[in-house]
Amino acid sequence: MKTAHELRPGNVIMLDGTPWVVQKTETTRSGRNAAIVKMKLKNLLQDSTTETTFKGDDKMEDIILERLDCTYSYYADPMYVFMDSEYNQYDVESENLGDASAFIVDGMEEICQVTFYEGKAISVELPTSITREVTYTEPAARGDTSGKVMKPATIEGGATITVAEFVKTGDKIEIDTRTGEFKKRAS
Amino acid sequence: MVLEKRSAHWDIFCAVVDNYGDIGVTWRLAKQLAAEYQIEVNLWVDDLFSFQHILPDLDPNLSLQRYVGVNIYQWKQPLEAKYRPGHVVIEAFACELPNEVKQSLNEQHQLAPSQVPIWLNLEYLSAESWVDGCHALPSLQSTGLKKHFYFPGFTQKSGGLICESSLIEQRESWQANPQNRFKLFDSLGLKGIETGHQVISLFSYENSVLLSLCQYLQQNSRPTHILVPKGRSLTSLQSLFPAPVEELAAGDRIQQGSLTIHILPMTDQQAYDQLLWSCDFNIVRGEDSFLRAQWAAKPFIWHIYPQDEDYHLVKLAAFLERYTEKLPPMLKVLIDALNTNFNQELTSETIRNWHELQDLTPLLLQHAQNWPNDALNGSDLAERLVHFVKNG
Repeated sequence: MKTAHELRPGNVIMLDGTPWVVQKTETTRSGRNAAIVKMKLKNLLQDSTTETTFKGDDKMEDIILERLDCTYSYYADPMYVFMDSEYNQYDVESENLGDASAFIVDGMEEICQVTFYEGKAISVELPTSITREVTYTEPAARGDTSGKVMKPATIEGGATITVAEFVKTGDKIEIDTRTGEFKKRAS
Repeated sequence: MVLEKRSAHWDIFCAVVDNYGDIGVTWRLAKQLAAEYQIEVNLWVDDLFSFQHILPDLDPNLSLQRYVGVNIYQWKQPLEAKYRPGHVVIEAFACELPNEVKQSLNEQHQLAPSQVPIWLNLEYLSAESWVDGCHALPSLQSTGLKKHFYFPGFTQKSGGLICESSLIEQRESWQANPQNRFKLFDSLGLKGIETGHQVISLFSYENSVLLSLCQYLQQNSRPTHILVPKGRSLTSLQSLFPAPVEELAAGDRIQQGSLTIHILPMTDQQAYDQLLWSCDFNIVRGEDSFLRAQWAAKPFIWHIYPQDEDYHLVKLAAFLERYTEKLPPMLKVLIDALNTNFNQELTSETIRNWHELQDLTPLLLQHAQNWPNDALNGSDLAERLVHFVKNG
């Protein structure tokens, strides 16, 4: 069992006998520190999607499906193509990548986990932490080094995330793929 | 198994966490649904002693009693009264429904899905933008049941705000006659309040700014009265009293310089509304008094419920952004600063903001009078809730 708060894109949960793949999660905070998790789920039986909300501590059965370590190969609209160590290729629909698609770039070497349901690749989980180059960000205004002042930055692949003000164009940064948040400047 | 036919009544479950907030909101909602929509409402409350503070006639020992058309049930584990499935079941503020209720919902779902009550989680009020995207979304349950999250809010896309249909009219009528406030003060045993005096109601959590604010008001040329019930605000003012605050009683007062602090008796919700309408400024907290202060059309400070990692400041900022949207920049900045500094217990900054706002009182008052219309966006929470259930 996992709580709604622990689920992340790529996980598969069973609700009333139906398997759902988590495509997107968004955690917000309600009153008295209670977490609210909004999710986009895909029904694996009917191929339909729905948006739903859970209390952060709602428990649900996560099911373990077949998973394979793969690397990203290329994009063939609308499919992302991944390859395992034996050079087998697997197509994953863009929408099944959820927020992870923001961090998929050509030539990336990170090992991703592709999940299968009844022989079909249904989702991809990126490593918790990935490193990407900042392709553009405004120069720091006041030379802040504390990391508390934040600003937007575009990373390779085109996604925009919020980074510490001391980050410069060309820096490599570590990103938490569960939240899409900047962690630190990569050494 | 014999399946009971669903009746038309609504059940609202309220677990009292804070003394008056949760029960304050659910009691108002229950009353409004019964009075304005003729809905039979069962209100299940797990702490009738707290409830009694805002409904003094309530007997905390009874399993079931009825007031203003609402059946009030003692919520104990296991339930003393049998739960009968109704048209709607509401868990207020994400409280966990009793096992008997969940079991009943599951049985209904298995045997006659069309007869399952509409299950709602009435959430906390927030002005944050994410509320619109989460309001009314289903929450899929492992049993196949569907619950919906109902989010109160300040936009048309949200679940709205609790405000009785005739409340604004009642308030305007009350405020049109200056004698009403003095009659109220008399009835509450508050002595020495005269025309021209400044009157402030105080219902906050503990806050170190309060003592400094009192010291500032002592030195002020204008006589000021702070009206405070026993409880958390008063704890912050202990050093002003010769005796422990626990020993103070309603009706006690202390005068220091231009400031008189009065200990208020606990009142029912109507009298509390009238108190807010009658004061020049209200310091309120949490959710219920916060909302009532807005309907009072008077300036106020919101002491928001503190959260981990100062997240409450995010919620405060989201509200202030909406509340001050139509204000001139100078006033917007000041109101923002006053509330934020108060909540961060930045004493000297708050006192400075308070001082600066004194010359802007007419503008502030005008804005407070305009605000309820903007906040309501055409319909209140009960109206939207009934509409949601009807179309759900």
